[in-house]
Amino acid sequence: MTPAGTDTHCPYCALQCAMTLTPSEEGVGVAARSFPTNKGGLCQKGWTSAEVLTLTDRITTPLLRGTSGELEPVSWAQAVAFVADRVRTLQAEHGRDAIGVFGGGGLTNEKAYQLGKFTRTVLRSRHIDYNGRFCMSSAAAAGNRAFGIDRGLPFPLADLSEAEAVLLLGSNVADTMPPLVQHLAGVRERGGLLVVDPRRSATAALAEDGAGIHLQPLPGTDQALLLGLLHLVVAEGLADEEYLAARVTGWDDVRRSVALWWPTRVASITGVPEEVLRRTVQVLAAASPTRGGGGAMVLTGRGAEQHTDGTDTVTAAINLALALGLPGSRASGYGCLTGQGNGQGGREHGQKADQLPGYRSIEDPAARAHVARVWGVEEATIPGKGVPAVQLLDKLGGEVRALFVHGANLLVSAPDATAVRRRVESLDLLVVCDFVPSETALLADVVLPVTQWAEEEGTMTSLEGRILRRRKAIDPPGKARSELEILADLAGLLGSEVHFDTEPALVFDELARASAGGVADYSGLSHARLDAETGPLHWPVPAGSGGTPRLFRDRFGHADGRARMVPVSPGGPADDLRPDAPLYLVTGRVLAQYQSGAQTRRVAALDRSAPGPFVELHPNLAARYGIDDGDDVRVTSARGAAVARARITTAIRPDTVFMPFHWSGAGMANAVTNDATDPVSGMPEFKVCAVEIARAAQPSEILEEVLA
Amino acid sequence: MSPQKIVVVGAGMVGHRFVDELVRADRTGRYAVELIGAESYEPYNRILLSEVVAGRADLKALSLPLPDSERVTFRRGCAAVGLDLAERRVLLDDGSASSFDRLVLATGATAFVPPIEGLESGPRHVHVLRTLDDCRNIAARAMNAKHAVVLGGGVLGLEAACGLRRRGVPVTVIDLDEHLMATQLDGPPARMLAGRLRDLGIDVITRSSISEVISAYDEIVAVRLADGRLLAADLMLVSCGVRAEAGLAAAAGLAVERGIVVDADLTTADPQVHAIGDCAQAPAGMTGLLAPGWAQAERLVELLVRGVGADVDLPTASAEPVRLKAAGVDLVTMGVRPSAARDDDRLVTLTDSGGRRHVDLVIREDALVGVTCLGAPEISAALSVAYDRRTPLPLDPLTMLVPEARTEESTSPVRMPGSTTVCRCSSVTKKEIVTAWEQGARSADAVAATTRASTGCGGCRDVVCGLVDWLNASDPGVDPGADPDAGPPSRSTPVTQRNTTVESTT
Repeated sequence: MTPAGTDTHCPYCALQCAMTLTPSEEGVGVAARSFPTNKGGLCQKGWTSAEVLTLTDRITTPLLRGTSGELEPVSWAQAVAFVADRVRTLQAEHGRDAIGVFGGGGLTNEKAYQLGKFTRTVLRSRHIDYNGRFCMSSAAAAGNRAFGIDRGLPFPLADLSEAEAVLLLGSNVADTMPPLVQHLAGVRERGGLLVVDPRRSATAALAEDGAGIHLQPLPGTDQALLLGLLHLVVAEGLADEEYLAARVTGWDDVRRSVALWWPTRVASITGVPEEVLRRTVQVLAAASPTRGGGGAMVLTGRGAEQHTDGTDTVTAAINLALALGLPGSRASGYGCLTGQGNGQGGREHGQKADQLPGYRSIEDPAARAHVARVWGVEEATIPGKGVPAVQLLDKLGGEVRALFVHGANLLVSAPDATAVRRRVESLDLLVVCDFVPSETALLADVVLPVTQWAEEEGTMTSLEGRILRRRKAIDPPGKARSELEILADLAGLLGSEVHFDTEPALVFDELARASAGGVADYSGLSHARLDAETGPLHWPVPAGSGGTPRLFRDRFGHADGRARMVPVSPGGPADDLRPDAPLYLVTGRVLAQYQSGAQTRRVAALDRSAPGPFVELHPNLAARYGIDDGDDVRVTSARGAAVARARITTAIRPDTVFMPFHWSGAGMANAVTNDATDPVSGMPEFKVCAVEIARAAQPSEILEEVLA
Repeated sequence: MSPQKIVVVGAGMVGHRFVDELVRADRTGRYAVELIGAESYEPYNRILLSEVVAGRADLKALSLPLPDSERVTFRRGCAAVGLDLAERRVLLDDGSASSFDRLVLATGATAFVPPIEGLESGPRHVHVLRTLDDCRNIAARAMNAKHAVVLGGGVLGLEAACGLRRRGVPVTVIDLDEHLMATQLDGPPARMLAGRLRDLGIDVITRSSISEVISAYDEIVAVRLADGRLLAADLMLVSCGVRAEAGLAAAAGLAVERGIVVDADLTTADPQVHAIGDCAQAPAGMTGLLAPGWAQAERLVELLVRGVGADVDLPTASAEPVRLKAAGVDLVTMGVRPSAARDDDRLVTLTDSGGRRHVDLVIREDALVGVTCLGAPEISAALSVAYDRRTPLPLDPLTMLVPEARTEESTSPVRMPGSTTVCRCSSVTKKEIVTAWEQGARSADAVAATTRASTGCGGCRDVVCGLVDWLNASDPGVDPGADPDAGPPSRSTPVTQRNTTVESTT
């Protein structure tokens, strides 16, 4: 008898492609499943995802750094007792805030919720944040500011198929979410795909041959570009004044603020020809429903967001969308393309330094009282807000003596990663929950093996704010356990009387209650309902609701129902060009790898497709520096250097080099990136810094130097 | 401590910028600010007046942010008529006076109108282009004008001429110099520019001027050129440069030469009185353009708020890029022009007479120090960035003049190399598809099931179908997979291959 397949979703990105898993003697079979977002498609990461379940170096037993200095297998009882003991001692010596927690955007909603609750009620530390800070925080801050709600896409992804124009800023979806490209077919047929990227990425190439326009600005000038586009909207009388009068506040200030961003000025700052700016605005405006078009969207990704003025850049994108009357209109609006699998849910349920479940402010007395009741604690015992991720990492070895890491590989993924490594090394205690020996896990005092995707039940919230069921297909290997059980055990050992469920469905029920009445209200949901209903359930889903596929049809999230326009001005890169660093480095992803690569680098097929780091550079630049294709290139910033192979291509600006950030070691891009952050969102400036390049004569010498 | 009162005379673009920066920087409320503007309009972007003349910008696009009403007293429609430095007062045209602790003069410049016979009587439809009112009047007249003359072939004159032409008005530009835009351009690009303007229907007459404006019933009807020729004209624009508006300062006894004389800290002989923008004459010279004026505003704010004095002279107009905002003409000039280049500078010139294109690059010690770029908008923005940001130049500067040529990938399944990635999403090469076909996958669906090709974004579906068709059509007796690069096709199926660009070229 063939066992029935288990319907679940891909372990990787926020598109959460639907798949069916069929375990057999040979392993777990992966079949793509028809679903509105992936329409039956999977990329190579999805097809090979089951290989991560059976990696030869999978961690299957708790590990404790012994007297030898090596990580050695121990029992669960020993491991958690050690952790609890150290936590007690360190908090006695240094106070409750001495323990920090660093979460991940790949954790299920249940785990994310429980981790926030554990930090606030058991550790009672204010120091929790997560790697989603590196992903959506700027878009989240701008979305909250403008709309009073931050949901990545405020409409179902499938609405893209109906739009006539899509302005895509800093997002290489053809590599990061390939199946999404199917939804762009209609836009491309109508010539409306407008891609903003310093590289002619795979996505930018989709705009060629009449399918749209590729705008190729100098890195760090996205905001100037957007202000220039809005200037043209005003100058050419294309603003939707009726919509602005009825649904928006702040238009007058914003309109005035773009008076100084005339086309020739913007062209000279961004390097995008004036004619291209004008055509872009015409295409967008013609597609706007109020001008008789079928729909126009403005979407941002990390390329526009990961800047010290990222929040303001997203605000400029939102202002453009509002000026054209897009948000809330048919097949139109602004959206952020969330990166990590549960980046959306991860930020709604308590992993963020300033938030409680349901996307509530930890500083709002009513929110605190509500959540305290659900948790069964005194409101006063819930700590105040902590600090965003980069600042939290700054405190390691200082105010923060111990760190719990869940679902993150910050030694590779954090900006200025070499400095982060030094601070992590200075901790009194590092506890890492993971299922692979990631760079971060290898540095830990205690490694706790956890379940992954196909081995657990739970929910994920996709980029369109739709709550999806993750289902268990196989049993976890060895002694691996769910974080839900680990946190419950630790709570008990630390003498907490707060109740921690270990059944995902029960944890979800509690999460639903905690979120009730919040912005991200899940109170109408349960695992049982998600399993029974075939229709889409997008939050908010208060009790009795059928979900909210489309936000903003009638009102925005602010009390007065109006969207807020806020004038912004570009801040410019924190680490800007100078004579000894005359080039920009931009970082990003490749199709066959995911995030820090801890999982995908271990999959043979993916490793063959994308075997290592590289430096993409223009032939003119390569010739100037005497670099041939395949040479080792050293990329140096004020913080550090990385060495990787030259990949020479005309697809990049001649003043810019590109590195993917999936690798550690000599080719680690984040050894070079800047940890300067956006003052509003805490987002680090991954996407631009000033570098010098050189052909690396002796790779081995440089490797030693970099690792020293 | 009560705040010091700063009175700013002039709410143009530099005065406005100064007030904006000051309020932002002065977090402790050390200064109380009063801004005095003679025009009754809200502050606006003067740079864009020619765009309004051209009908390319709605007036709404010109309104600048209003000064913060909690921090700034803004008196608009109120002209300063005198300075009483002894009593620390500015006298206003409504008879009142504003007292100050510190005074910033940002009175700008006025258009220079040369003495021409027939102008003194003030005939209608003769304008300068300096204010919103000028702009409205010109735009209104352009609706009915049969022929416009523009006196002065500088930046503003040409922008206005192109704007009027865009509105359908025949235009003649008259310039005293050897050629157009003599301040910025050498002869060859200027002559190319004149050609471009003529293509647009704008007559250009250089080395000439207007000796007389002829009117009938107080309206201009014609102009007489220096050589005696008569030109019918019912709209005339005078664009002969500007003069610093320094009358108030001069009358108050401050030193005035070409402008109000200030030191590197933008301060006059009176340490509490400053001048910035077009009215000021700093050690480095006159500003003339917006960017140096803004730099002065920022410098003065720094001095007043942080007490940091000047250590170097600020840039002046000659170092600043000039970009013509003219419908139908794309022209950028920056830095050194060829006639001013040194002997050891490297000059690169491209001239395309038929295409009305002309590009000059001046390269000094591997840096781009001069650019003239006419008629090539697809490269002028990139050259601007290279010049402004001092990014490394290519070894062969010619490559900067040629927009990137795309390497065309072969889209024929026959000629496509076996190593070509057909499906990016699943990383499948042509060779792997051929292998799958050999092993029995005879349809695109079967190939997809075996290789995963086309199961991601679906963008390579056409290519996979094309490959399978080609393989199926080839002689079944011959093994088409033996050498994918030289397969024996019985027919070639051209396929679109938008999605399979190989990213790397050497």
